[in-house]
Amino acid sequence: MNSSGESDASEICLVDDDLSVLRSMEYLLASDGLAVRAFNKPEEFLAHAAAHPVSVVVTDIWMEGVTGLEVLARMCALSPRPRVIVITARDDLAARATAMQIGPVAFFIKPFDDEKFLAAVHDALSQAKSTT
Amino acid sequence: MSERDKSDKEHHEKEEPFYAGQTRILEMVAANDPLPEVLTNLVLLMEAQAEGMLCSILVLSADGMRVRHGAAPSLPEAYVKAVNGARIGPRNGSCGTAMYLKRPVVVTDVLADPLWADYRHLAEICGLRACWSTPIFSPQGDVLGSFAMYRQEQRGPNAEERRLTQIATHIAGIAIERQRVQETLRERDARINLAAESADLAFWVIYPEQNSAWMSDKGRKIYGFDSKLPLTRDLICGRVHADERSAVHAAFDRACASHTTFESEHRLVLPYGKTRWVIVRGRCLEDEYGHLLELIGVTIDVSAQKQSDLQLQIQREEMSHLNRVALMGEMTASVAHELNQPLTAIANNAAAARRFLERGKINPVLLQQLLQDMVADSQRAGEVIRGIRSLVQKDKNVARSVLNLNAVIADTLRLVSSDVLMRESVATTEMDHSLPQVEAAPVQIQQVLLNLIMNALDAVEALPPAERRIIISTRSLNGESAEVSVRDFGAGLPTDRPDKVFDHFFSTKQTGMGMGLTIVRSIIETHGGKISAENAPDGGARFSFHLPAARRDSKSQAA
Repeated sequence: MNSSGESDASEICLVDDDLSVLRSMEYLLASDGLAVRAFNKPEEFLAHAAAHPVSVVVTDIWMEGVTGLEVLARMCALSPRPRVIVITARDDLAARATAMQIGPVAFFIKPFDDEKFLAAVHDALSQAKSTT
Repeated sequence: MSERDKSDKEHHEKEEPFYAGQTRILEMVAANDPLPEVLTNLVLLMEAQAEGMLCSILVLSADGMRVRHGAAPSLPEAYVKAVNGARIGPRNGSCGTAMYLKRPVVVTDVLADPLWADYRHLAEICGLRACWSTPIFSPQGDVLGSFAMYRQEQRGPNAEERRLTQIATHIAGIAIERQRVQETLRERDARINLAAESADLAFWVIYPEQNSAWMSDKGRKIYGFDSKLPLTRDLICGRVHADERSAVHAAFDRACASHTTFESEHRLVLPYGKTRWVIVRGRCLEDEYGHLLELIGVTIDVSAQKQSDLQLQIQREEMSHLNRVALMGEMTASVAHELNQPLTAIANNAAAARRFLERGKINPVLLQQLLQDMVADSQRAGEVIRGIRSLVQKDKNVARSVLNLNAVIADTLRLVSSDVLMRESVATTEMDHSLPQVEAAPVQIQQVLLNLIMNALDAVEALPPAERRIIISTRSLNGESAEVSVRDFGAGLPTDRPDKVFDHFFSTKQTGMGMGLTIVRSIIETHGGKISAENAPDGGARFSFHLPAARRDSKSQAA
């Protein structure tokens, strides 16, 4: 968990409007020794990402306020481009196909298997490192 | 003893049994003994007062035209038969003429008098010579009949005979009048009974002082009482269904205490468990001193009507339940989301705890935090399930409480928030914070809102995402009722008759069953409210319903 205020490209950015899910994701990533920066609102994350490089972002879609796919598109359009992992509580095949076209590297339906999820996060991290 | 004293003594000795005889006859009248018996005794008493005198009483027919045999125990049967049924008139023997003229007619010689022209021959055979007839009057002055004295010699009545006639006509008048009143009452009873039976009404009377009761035959049939069983109030009330007995007793006691009327609809349970629905109406009758005399009333068997009402209600409940299940099906995204969120948090927290433990770096404070979060999320999941169950459950959704509709709307929107998001729509609210509270069944109001909101979401589906809006607003109508409107910006309703959408099986949707709005309207109406549908001037449909404000004495409950 990040408390320094310092930004680190290796930290995982986490976006979810559900506070208890957000917290549990922080714990899960922290239990695997990962640094996390959590955002309750997508706008806050986008503001952060505008000023700091983000290598990996784990985000819920269809969060209240801004249309989820639009947020996803904006995340994928950031430069440098972060690795985006989508987690969603909605099992909707059509939406999933649409979302995948935008460019996330992984897609998880809540609740998900922690091992697979963490593996995907580590993959994304190492991909990000190898490209920089 | 002087001559005078002697005659007084003789008079007393003669008069005492005569008085006793009159008293006996009046007692017979009071006891409602049959009229022929009473009149025969009267005639015999009169005949005993004078030597060689025969008497008869004739009764005027109801139409006032003919004479009917009353009593003539000492006259020849042939004579009695001949007179019975004869017309009255100005020249119709002593009796027929007396009744016709309404005054005494004294015929000293029937063989010579022109009034007897028609009966002379018969009188001669029977050995009758003189006949003095006096009309019998009712207290109102109507002729009831006549009292006649016959002699075998040709003469007029003496003073004693005139006195006896006066006594006889007076007593006969009382007896005949009494019998006429009884007959009128009997006729009226018969008429009321006929009317009651054909209207399926049962009559009853309860005498609270005597703890006794009377019931018509129809009543005994409805209540399942044997025709011989003596009835009491407790027996009748004992037939009332146990659930309703105390309420019926209370209404009954209230009516008795205030000497007013009483009305109740309740069930009866008959021997062998048969149940009937009845409506009972009663009224207290007072005597002239204002004391409660009796409670009279009618009972109507409405079982058949109730049965069909009940069936209709069951059908309505089934439909309403189906509608809620269907709604739940439409809300799958929201339901899945609502459950998946807490489950995800629990799974994550558990996985995190396991990993921390595996790495041996467990901080007890952190572990406690994780466990606490898991408990909180489990409860959240439980809440979601309870909410779904209350919506889908068949019964127990009609209990009313005092609600703030703004709060119910907020709860309902939370429930469908995921569907709104997934359909890339926006639902906004415009709440009136002075909205009066209403008394309603929360699940049913939620059902109404869900139907209207899901319909509105369907209506905007064809629009580009940016235009998919629905607005839910509330408004206080003078503090007397609370209005809720759900409007969309879709294609609108059929313009010819927007309220057609409330009809059965009317649907513009491919998947709709066409019963949602029918159920919505029935729910609103059973809550004493109204719902309407219209096209908004700037496009789209608007559904508005209003419910009456809760009474002040209603108990408030947090919505």
